[in-house]
Amino acid sequence: MSKACPDHPDDPPVSTYPPKLAAIISLFESLPEEEKRENLIAYAEQAKKHEPKPGETFDLEDVRKDEECTDTVGVFLKLDAEQQAHFRVTLGPQVQTLTKAMTAILCKALDGLDLDSIMALPADFVPKIVGGHLVRIRSQTVYYILTRIKSACKVLLNRRRAAQG
Amino acid sequence: MSDTPSAYAHPEVLVSTDWLAAHLDEPNTRIVESNEDVLLYDTGHIPGAVHIDWREDLQDALVRDYISPEAFAQLCAKNGIGPDTTVLFYGDKSNWWATYALWAFRLFGHTKVKILDGGRDKWIKEGRPVTKEKPKYPATQYPVPAKRLDEEIRAFYDDALAQSQAKKPLIDVRSPGEFKGEVTHMPEYPQEGVLRGGHIPGAKSVPWKTAVKEDATFKSADELRKIYTEGCALAPDADIVAYCRIGERSSHTWFVLTYLLGYPNVRNYDGSWTEWGNKVRAPIERS
Repeated sequence: MSKACPDHPDDPPVSTYPPKLAAIISLFESLPEEEKRENLIAYAEQAKKHEPKPGETFDLEDVRKDEECTDTVGVFLKLDAEQQAHFRVTLGPQVQTLTKAMTAILCKALDGLDLDSIMALPADFVPKIVGGHLVRIRSQTVYYILTRIKSACKVLLNRRRAAQG
Repeated sequence: MSDTPSAYAHPEVLVSTDWLAAHLDEPNTRIVESNEDVLLYDTGHIPGAVHIDWREDLQDALVRDYISPEAFAQLCAKNGIGPDTTVLFYGDKSNWWATYALWAFRLFGHTKVKILDGGRDKWIKEGRPVTKEKPKYPATQYPVPAKRLDEEIRAFYDDALAQSQAKKPLIDVRSPGEFKGEVTHMPEYPQEGVLRGGHIPGAKSVPWKTAVKEDATFKSADELRKIYTEGCALAPDADIVAYCRIGERSSHTWFVLTYLLGYPNVRNYDGSWTEWGNKVRAPIERS
């Protein structure tokens, strides 16, 4: 776990986040605005690497185009034998760069977590990565992928509960 | 230039991707990219282009208004734009934000402006060069404009209400669903807090998209006249107000009416539906 270093007394310390996510948050929080943008672009350029690979199968496939996003987004979720989640995401060509960046960040940061941990994750880490400035000027863009990932987790959790009777 | 440039009222205001590719170092010209996607410029842009963000650079951070003349002069100076520099705008989304930025420059009296016909998408689709290198230009001395020309090309709520009551031309450029009040935002866009749906009484629905072809370039002057002059029965000296949701799509239509068709009295109601649809007792029609 990373060292706790909240900017504000009410902020949860970085150490409360899962390790891979905490590392990404720490990196972005240490960067000046210009480098933060450069790193977001670098993540956005990696988004295609998180698309489903040929032959992969999933426990849940949720492909849709809805009001919160300007193009189709597909979220593919697979649970391994230890019930750890692994995500793949497809993005339509009109999807914005910030959404692409958040896709690559979340696919990497949440890989291997269990569903309950993902559902319990507060969204307050998003401004820590993207920066308060970009959140303020484009607030509608930055939370979308996290919402879709949580939505996929919720479906699987509900299925599991239904199966348990 | 476009296929039939001579038919536009001000053909000099449009440049083609071919022309720009051959004139990237045109003297006394600054290429400006303005997008909806806030990081798009950073992913690669036309060589030599600077970035001006509609919200961060052109709008006041506190009050819902545009920047002051002093801030505009600073914005131009830091981007190497002088009072005689031709500013050539382009951007994503069929040039919505490029025309918005152009309109904002006109608010401050900067008249040497152009648009890249087809915008960023056409440039990229044609495989033309882009770079991540951010250019640095020597700062200029841009004189602070004496005032913002709000009364000439900008309409406020009271102006739009007067326009409606006088039954003067009001053009609603939003999607048909927004005009009818079925939705309060663009299809596929987030709902951003408008309490009522519909349109300003007397407004005519002419979605912005009717002015462009599939490749985002503008339709011919004849086609545009059919849509606006005949379709909206606009007299040559008509006093016209265009609006949308926050003023960006209506900037596109303002550009078409002002520069391509030559209407001299066109105003953009930038408060648009996010003001009208939330205003207590503002009259609304649904149809």
